[in-house]
Amino acid sequence: MKHMTIAKDGIRDFIDRLVKRCRVIAPVESGKILRFREVSSGEEACFDFHNTKLSPKEILFPQNEVLFKYSKGRGAIEAEAGPSKNGEWVIFGIRPCDARGITLTDLFFSSGEHKDLLYLEKRGRSALVGFACIHPLNTCFCTSTGGNPFGREGMDLLLVDLGERYLVEVLTERGERLIEADRGLKDASEVDVDTANKLSRVAEKSLRTRLQMEGLSEKLDGMFEDPLWDRVHQKCVGCGVCTFVCPTCWCFDVVDEETADSSSRIRLWDTCQFPLFTLQGSGFNPRPTGKERMRQRVMHKLNYFFREHRAFACVGCGRCVRECPVNLDIREIIRTIMSE
Amino acid sequence: MGGNEEKIREVAGRLLRDGEVNLIIGHERGTLPLRSSPCFVTDPEDLDRLIWDPTCDINLAKYLHGRDERVGILAKGCDARSIVVCASEGQVEMDRVVILGLPCHGVINRKNIESEIAGREILEAIVTDEIITLKGEGFEEVLPTETFLDDSCMSCRHRTPPVYDVLIGEPLPEASEDDGYAEVNELESKSAEERWDHFVDEISNCIRCYSCRDVCPMCYCKECFVDETMPAWFGKTNEITDTMIYHVVRAIHLTGRCVDCGACSRACPMHINLRALTKKAEKIARDRFNFEAGISLEDTPVLGTFKQDDSEEFII
Repeated sequence: MKHMTIAKDGIRDFIDRLVKRCRVIAPVESGKILRFREVSSGEEACFDFHNTKLSPKEILFPQNEVLFKYSKGRGAIEAEAGPSKNGEWVIFGIRPCDARGITLTDLFFSSGEHKDLLYLEKRGRSALVGFACIHPLNTCFCTSTGGNPFGREGMDLLLVDLGERYLVEVLTERGERLIEADRGLKDASEVDVDTANKLSRVAEKSLRTRLQMEGLSEKLDGMFEDPLWDRVHQKCVGCGVCTFVCPTCWCFDVVDEETADSSSRIRLWDTCQFPLFTLQGSGFNPRPTGKERMRQRVMHKLNYFFREHRAFACVGCGRCVRECPVNLDIREIIRTIMSE
Repeated sequence: MGGNEEKIREVAGRLLRDGEVNLIIGHERGTLPLRSSPCFVTDPEDLDRLIWDPTCDINLAKYLHGRDERVGILAKGCDARSIVVCASEGQVEMDRVVILGLPCHGVINRKNIESEIAGREILEAIVTDEIITLKGEGFEEVLPTETFLDDSCMSCRHRTPPVYDVLIGEPLPEASEDDGYAEVNELESKSAEERWDHFVDEISNCIRCYSCRDVCPMCYCKECFVDETMPAWFGKTNEITDTMIYHVVRAIHLTGRCVDCGACSRACPMHINLRALTKKAEKIARDRFNFEAGISLEDTPVLGTFKQDDSEEFII
């Protein structure tokens, strides 16, 4: 692996140079919220954060996306494709949990017979440049679900904060192209690499939440009708926060929005926590109460997805834990299941 | 507030053991600092889970909907008023509910506390009526609870529940010097354009998760207007017009019903100040109809009642 360094005060200039070549998306302050947005200069980006409020899934899988527009002429329907994307994108400042979330999202949108071209088209043009987590939060549990505060999965470049400068790990050819001939980067010394390795060990050790998840999926195999679901959903008010902030929730709805002269077919985030999610045309709803909906969320993440891909659809970022308005904590649900 | 936990457990235990109720709904310690979580107790053995301090910021009236068992519910002034509104609208049968009223000095606003701590992670918090002690890696801070109460508590006029079956603790003086309308008054003084810009700015981060709706005891419709598809009243995107219609219509639906508990604002993950809209609706009910929601079980819903002398100068 190739290692470089970049001075901390040079990082904004580096982004300025990237902006000239490609579309750069980085954490920015939007109101009181930190979220990924396109930046036109390094000055706009924020680097001093634990993690963003919303995961970068909203870049590759936006909350609303026009699939195509159509208009009803005389007898004929004319359709045109949604807005096309072009050029290279860099998602800058991503955390290892979220990069891993994107690799799991890739599985969801690309495995099986049908590929989701809309997602893959954006994914294909996106490089991921991330920051290793030096200080994981109290709510983080990435190592329990298969990740790491210094995880490289999905990353093209991984930056490690060494104090005065960042160590830049060049992980892919795409990453190599991003820094190619960039005057801001220098070769890293062995000391730099050693320091980063030490920080990595400290960060991993510092994780406060360690969940026993081995055998969890197998355990859930026999728990569909378990009385546990009657208890765990009681607090849930049925809002969509946990799924919307989740980097590995991908369910969507497709709606037509019509006006007098033009109409759009749009795909929107949906959530298994809303009653409408499975309401059928007949009026029948196979998941009529919060109990079935909570079970679906837990089973999909920790059992169905695991059975298919041998990975949990959870990267342990802790967003759902932090944002739940009634403090329904998925870590507690996991502990409860494991102790049954 | 503190010191009453034993009394709460004693009263709740008696209700459970005597078979007067089958379930107690209260608060328990949350899994994160500064957080509490709703707690459902059916077994007297579990009573020691019940807590009562300024972290108990969830409006528990939400959990009365759709229950057919007899319930004992811990209720702050705003929770009790919410129960009264739901009862007056035929949603809660009062003969199946025992209200354990809790005089309340106010609940904390954890977002304001986190913003005061500015980026440092709080690992431990001890919250009393007087002080909030916060600990994290390399820091310990003590904040005055009073300064970090939720905005809705700052102007609370009903710190003692106006309706209850058992009051746990001593009644508190009701008057608040702050009428709580400063923000509404300021918005009213602006032009329509300025107000539009203000609200566009405020709600532009809305992700339509509906946590504001789903924590609200007054939002109990079996099918919310946002979920209706035939006809679909408005779009489901994050375009500002779609989002604005949701928030404005919700505020209108809450007029004369909102008890200003502030749960919607506290729940919003995107830090949207939803109270700016509902507070205006509450002010209209007060100014036009001299009505305050949830004060008495004898009251009928203000918008469900017609009086000859109703104010009508605002009708277009």
